[in-house]
Amino acid sequence: MPSAIRDYEARSKSGITKFTNCLLVKGDDLVNEDLWISSVTGKILHSQEVFYDQQLIPDEIIDLGGRIISPGFIDVQLNGAYGFDFSVIPEEGMSAYGKGVRRVNKSLIKTGVTSYLPTITSQTPEVYHKVLPFLAPSGASRDPTAGSESLGAHCEGPFINPTKSGIHDPSILLTCPRGLPDLIDCYGASNLTPPCPIRLITLAPELPGALQATTALTALGIVVSIGHSDASYEEARAGIAAGATMITHLFNAMRPLHHRNPGIFGLLGTASPSSPRSTPTSTPTSTPGTPGTPGTPTTTTSTPSTPQKPFFGLIADGTHLHPTSTTLAHAAHPRGCILVTDAMSPAGLPNGTYPWHHGARITKHDALLTLDRSGGRIAGSSATLVACVDNFWNWTGVAVAVALRAVTEAPARMAGVWARKGRLGCAADADLCVLRVEEGGGFL
Amino acid sequence: MAWTAREAESCWAQALQQRKTAAPRLAKAQLDQAAYRRARQRSPKPWLDAVTGRLMASSAVAAGNAERAGGLASIRQSCRKRKGRLIIRDDPPTASRYIADYIIERIKSFEPTPENPFVLGLPTGSSPVLIYRYLVEKHKAGEISFRNVVTFNMDEYVGIPREHPESYHSFMYKHFFSHVDIDPANINILNGNAPDLEAECIGYEEKIKKFGGIELFLGGIGPDGHIAFNEPGSSLKSRTRVKTLAYDTILANSRFFGNDLSQVPRMALTVGVQTVLDAREVVVIITGAHKALALQKCIEGGVNHMWTLSSLQLHPHPLIVVDEDATLELQVKTVKYFKSIEMVANELGFVQTLPTAASTGVKRSAIVEELHSPKEKPTNGFKLEAPKPNISRSVTPELVPDRMASRIPDDTTWNLQGVENEDTSFLRMSARVAPLSG
Repeated sequence: MPSAIRDYEARSKSGITKFTNCLLVKGDDLVNEDLWISSVTGKILHSQEVFYDQQLIPDEIIDLGGRIISPGFIDVQLNGAYGFDFSVIPEEGMSAYGKGVRRVNKSLIKTGVTSYLPTITSQTPEVYHKVLPFLAPSGASRDPTAGSESLGAHCEGPFINPTKSGIHDPSILLTCPRGLPDLIDCYGASNLTPPCPIRLITLAPELPGALQATTALTALGIVVSIGHSDASYEEARAGIAAGATMITHLFNAMRPLHHRNPGIFGLLGTASPSSPRSTPTSTPTSTPGTPGTPGTPTTTTSTPSTPQKPFFGLIADGTHLHPTSTTLAHAAHPRGCILVTDAMSPAGLPNGTYPWHHGARITKHDALLTLDRSGGRIAGSSATLVACVDNFWNWTGVAVAVALRAVTEAPARMAGVWARKGRLGCAADADLCVLRVEEGGGFL
Repeated sequence: MAWTAREAESCWAQALQQRKTAAPRLAKAQLDQAAYRRARQRSPKPWLDAVTGRLMASSAVAAGNAERAGGLASIRQSCRKRKGRLIIRDDPPTASRYIADYIIERIKSFEPTPENPFVLGLPTGSSPVLIYRYLVEKHKAGEISFRNVVTFNMDEYVGIPREHPESYHSFMYKHFFSHVDIDPANINILNGNAPDLEAECIGYEEKIKKFGGIELFLGGIGPDGHIAFNEPGSSLKSRTRVKTLAYDTILANSRFFGNDLSQVPRMALTVGVQTVLDAREVVVIITGAHKALALQKCIEGGVNHMWTLSSLQLHPHPLIVVDEDATLELQVKTVKYFKSIEMVANELGFVQTLPTAASTGVKRSAIVEELHSPKEKPTNGFKLEAPKPNISRSVTPELVPDRMASRIPDDTTWNLQGVENEDTSFLRMSARVAPLSG
C-alpha cells in the first residue's frame, strides 16, 4: 500500500542543527526560543520559513539544558595571545607570522571570541607594510574549522600623543600634518585601498592633521577611534565632527575627567556636534556652550538630529578601571559600551615573565600584565573577554543580555559588520557562544 | 481516567470500613473483597477494576460475580455510545489538560502509520494555547509522537505575509509545530497569499478528502459563537472559502495589531461549518466568562446560523470542554446533568470515549451478520416439521388501467341515485329552512 505521507525516517538530510531549551540574546532580554543553523551555509536560519517553505526539519537537535546562546564575542582590541604578538615579526620571517596568526585563531575560539580586530601597537612603517596583509578580514572564504576570524586590523598608533603613549615606544610615534598622505607613508598604500585590511585606526585628534586624516579615513570606510590622546573636550568633539565614532579604552591613556573640561569622556555627555559630519573642520570648532557647561541649552536645542555619542572601549579586567568608572561610562551611553581585553601575547599562557618588544619584558600575574622597565606600568591585560563580561555584569548589575551586548552587538555595529556579526538574526553568521549564568564556559 | 490506583484503594478501604460497621453485611463484604482480589489479579489495569470492586461491595444485588462483571461491561459499552459530551473543569488549565490528554489518547489508540495517518484539525487563538503547551510537554516527555499525524488548520488571514508574527502560520509554528516531531510536509494551512484564493479553498477540501477526512477536529469559539472564521450568519452547510470578517472580530483582533483597526486583515480563508461537522469527532474548548453566552446559545439554544457552533448539535460525536466561568449562562439543570453524567461514568470506571471501530464495529458486524444469515437447518435428514406442500400460485394478472367506477358493481350504485345524477340546485339557505309556524 502506498504511504499517504512520506516516511519520517527516510527523508534526506537537511544539514540543519536546532538548538533547543536555550535562552537567546534578543535585544535587552533573554528569550526562550529555538535556534536553527545551517551547517551548509554557516548561517542562522529563519526557522519558520525553512520549515514551511522548504519543509525541512533539523537533522540534529541539541538540548542546551537552559543555557544561554549569545552571538560570538567580538574583541576589537587584541594585541596578541598565546605567546604570539601581532605587532612583532618573528625572527623566522613572515611564514612564521602567518602560522602564529592561525594558532591564535584556533586557541581564541575556545574563549568564545569568534571574531576580533588584531591590534598592532605603534610600530615602524616596515612592520605595518609586512604585517597588515596577514590580518585582512577572511570574509567569504572563511573556514570555520580554522577558529576565530579577523574582521580587519586595528592600528593603535602611531599617530598618537607622546604624552599619553602608555607602553608604546614614544620614539616611533608620528604625526600627520599632511593628512592622508602621511598615513599612506606609514601604513602603506595597498593597506589603505579598499578592500583594505585595516578596520580601525586609533589616533589622537589634537595632533596636527589628525582631523583631516580622520575625514579621509572615514571616506575609505575605515573606522577612526580617539585614543592615546590628550585632547580637550573641544578637540575631542572636533574629532567626532570629523568622523571618529569610537573611543579607544576610555579612561586609559587620556586626560581624566575634569569638571571644567571633561576631556574625551565628555563626549559621552553630549548630543551630536553642531557641525555636520560632511563638513569637517581642520581646527577645533568653537562649540556652543562654555567649557564648564557642556550641557548648555544651546548645545542640546541646536542639535535635534541623531546624537552622535561615540562607541567606547572599556578594559573591564578589574585592573585598568575602577568598577564605578565602568558603571558610570555604561550609564552615560549604554549602547555604545564595548568591552575589550587589550590582551597581550602572554594572555592564555601560565604566569611568568615574557620577552616583549625591543628587549623589554612583561610579567604576567593572572590577568595583570606589567612592563618591567617602566616600574610596574600596566601593559595591557591578559584577561579573557568572557571574564571582562563577567566583571562588567557583576559591577553594573545590568541584565545578562545587556552585558553581552557590549561584546556582541556594540562592537559589530562599531566595526560596521552588524549585518552578519554580533546578532542571532536570520542570515547572520552562526558564530555562537554558549554560556551558563554562574560561570562563563562551555563554548562552541 | 480520574482515578488513580491509590485513590481507588482508599475508596475500597472506606467501603470496607462501612461494611464492617454493618454487622449483618460483614460476611458479604468479605465475599466481595475476595472477588475484588481476584479481579485485580486478572486485570492489567488494577485501578479500573478497583473501582469496579468498590461498586461490587456496595451492590445489594445478590447475583454472581461473573454476572455482575458482565453487566458492568455492557453498561460501559452502552455509555460509551453516549453523544454530546460536555465536560466541565474548574479552570482553563485543567480543561486544556483534559483535551490534551484526550487527543493523545485518541492518537495512541488510533495507532497511526505512514499508510494510515491520524488526521487532526487544529485551531488558533488564545484558548488552545494551553492545549498546545501540554501537548508539547507530553511530546518532550516522550509520551506522544506526531510523526504520523497530518494536520489541517482551520483558517488563515488573507493578505498578511506568512512570516508576520500574527499570521496563523507563525502562531502554529511558535506554539506547536516547532516543538514537536511533526513533518512539515504533513502540515496543511490555508495560504492567504495564494494567487487564486478560491482555488486554494477548493484544493483544501480536496486535500482533506484525499486523507479520508478529518479524524478529530479541535476547535475554539469566539464570544459570538463562531467556529473558525464562520462568523454569525454563515451557512451551516458552508465549505472552505474566503470570508469577510465581522466587525466584532476585527475589533477583537486589533489588539494583536497595535490596536490599529486598519492593520487588521479584513478577510480570511476558513474551513466551513460543514467541513468541521464532517470530521468524525469535534472537540471544542470554551473557557472564560466572556464566552458564557456563546456556550449557552450553542448548547441550550436551537441550531442557529447566528451562533455557528450550535450546529454541533447535529454532529454525532461532539465533545465540548469548558471551565466553570464559561458555564455562567447555563441553567443549573444543564450543568448538573452533564456533571452527573461524567460522575457516573467515573464511578463505573470508564471515560466517555468515542466508540472505536474496534469496539462497536466488530459488534455491529456480528449483529448484522446474525440478522442477515439464514437460519441453519438441521442436516441429519430428520425433520420435525411436516414437509410443505408445493403449491403453485396463480400468475398475477396484467394491470389494466381502468376507471375506478367501472370496478363498482352496478347493484351498489342504487343508493347514490338521486344524489349524483341529479343536478344540484343552488338554493338560498333560507329556502331550505322551514318557515316558522305561526
